[in-house]
Amino acid sequence: MTQQLVIDGRDMQPPEPLEQTLAALDTLPPDGEIVLLLYCQPQPLYQILRRNGYSWKESMLADGTNEIRIRKS
Amino acid sequence: MHPNMSFEQAPPVWVPYRFFLTAPLFGIVAGLLLAWAGPAALTSRWTPEALALTHLLVAGFMLQAMCGALLQFVPVAAGANIWRPGLVAGLVHPMLAVGVSLLAAGFLAGPGPWLAAGAGLIVTALSGYVIVVGVALLRAPVKGATIVALRVALLALVVTYGFGFTLVQGLRGSVGVPLVEMTNVHAAWGLGGWSLLLLSGVSYYVVPMFQLTPAYPAWLGRMLPWGLLAVLLLWASRLLTGLAEGWLSWILLAGMALAGGFAVVTLRLQAKRRRRVPDVTLTFFRGGMVSLLAVVVAVVAAIAVPPAPTFSEAPAWAVTIGILLFVGLFISVITGMLYKIVPFLNWLHLQRLGGLTIMPPNMKEMIPERGMVGQMRLHFVSLAALLLAVAWPPLTVVAGLLFAASCVWLEWNLLSAVRVYVDFRDRILAADACHAPG
Repeated sequence: MTQQLVIDGRDMQPPEPLEQTLAALDTLPPDGEIVLLLYCQPQPLYQILRRNGYSWKESMLADGTNEIRIRKS
Repeated sequence: MHPNMSFEQAPPVWVPYRFFLTAPLFGIVAGLLLAWAGPAALTSRWTPEALALTHLLVAGFMLQAMCGALLQFVPVAAGANIWRPGLVAGLVHPMLAVGVSLLAAGFLAGPGPWLAAGAGLIVTALSGYVIVVGVALLRAPVKGATIVALRVALLALVVTYGFGFTLVQGLRGSVGVPLVEMTNVHAAWGLGGWSLLLLSGVSYYVVPMFQLTPAYPAWLGRMLPWGLLAVLLLWASRLLTGLAEGWLSWILLAGMALAGGFAVVTLRLQAKRRRRVPDVTLTFFRGGMVSLLAVVVAVVAAIAVPPAPTFSEAPAWAVTIGILLFVGLFISVITGMLYKIVPFLNWLHLQRLGGLTIMPPNMKEMIPERGMVGQMRLHFVSLAALLLAVAWPPLTVVAGLLFAASCVWLEWNLLSAVRVYVDFRDRILAADACHAPG
């Protein structure tokens, strides 16, 4: 079963969601997934993910939350 | 959803930092000048000391911080490329710093060559700056309230320094200009145009992002820049048409309604913030917005309360409003933003440098919290002392020293963040050197 870690960054001040996500990437198993919840598109995070071989999928929820699912490519 | 920021085009960290670190130095000089000049400085807005103090605060402290912030903000928030930001900052920053110093010295010494040299340097520096930032803003791929506010703010900056330069020529007797009326127009475009619109445009981004509030309502972003522009154009038309005092009062009231609206909306959004923890930036912002509302009340009172004096006939009103605007509103908000932006930029630049292998220190370790809180308390104490000094002049020396001390503390806090940046950057570079292939 896929190991999933949810980081709810909606009530965190920048760059706390980024800090927590980067810390979680360190321990992410090969088939693991991080689910990050934000009210924005975190461009700095996307740059880091792109450079380090991760992929992500965004989906917009009804309340304006951007749900970002991050995995190893 | 909140606006997004892209850091692909962010300039080197030294571009904004050189402006940010210079700004408080002008505050220190202003505070010491006030303490040295004593009670006479605040008897009217027209004393040489008051004119020097005003320009040390608005063109020294505020303009330095705003110019530096915009060089960082435009590429990040608007996705707009600024042409060679390192070169622009390297030219504009020293020219502005020297120009404002000469201008202030010129006000104190009388309308001589220092005043002209200072004004010339400032106009040259700002003209280059406006062209570079203006082109970037016109080509910005992002649309929206912030871009409109920044474009109109930049236009207002041109009008402000254009009138300022003309006023210097008028003071020197080179051209005949209506000094009092033109000064009122110059001040209105500088404070209500450039400064307030820049503050609003940046607030649409940073208040929801850092203070975790709902987004600003769209109507405010549409109404504020065009409304303020209309008010400022009407206010400036007094130079051509000689508008009656009654009309000017109505124009002023319209401007106050717009400014007060921005303050009320900001305070209401902050009341709805999602994370209710003490935050220095939030308190600075609230202090700024309360000061803006106090200005609105003071202006309305000055217009409406019998015998309804004009500002030129009521020097205490004008000086009080100046203190509330410069120290209470703009320097409070700028300081609060610096305490959020500088640690954030430290973190982002160090993270980019270190990649995923070396994580930068936590945001909260960039500037000690106790230092920021202490400086904030001293800032508001100095604001209270400055306001009291208008009513009780013997307090002027103490108020000046308190303000200078709060600016020294601010500079120290910013330098401590820079020290963290430099130390950690050196560690990353040393680690890279160790791992480099021999």
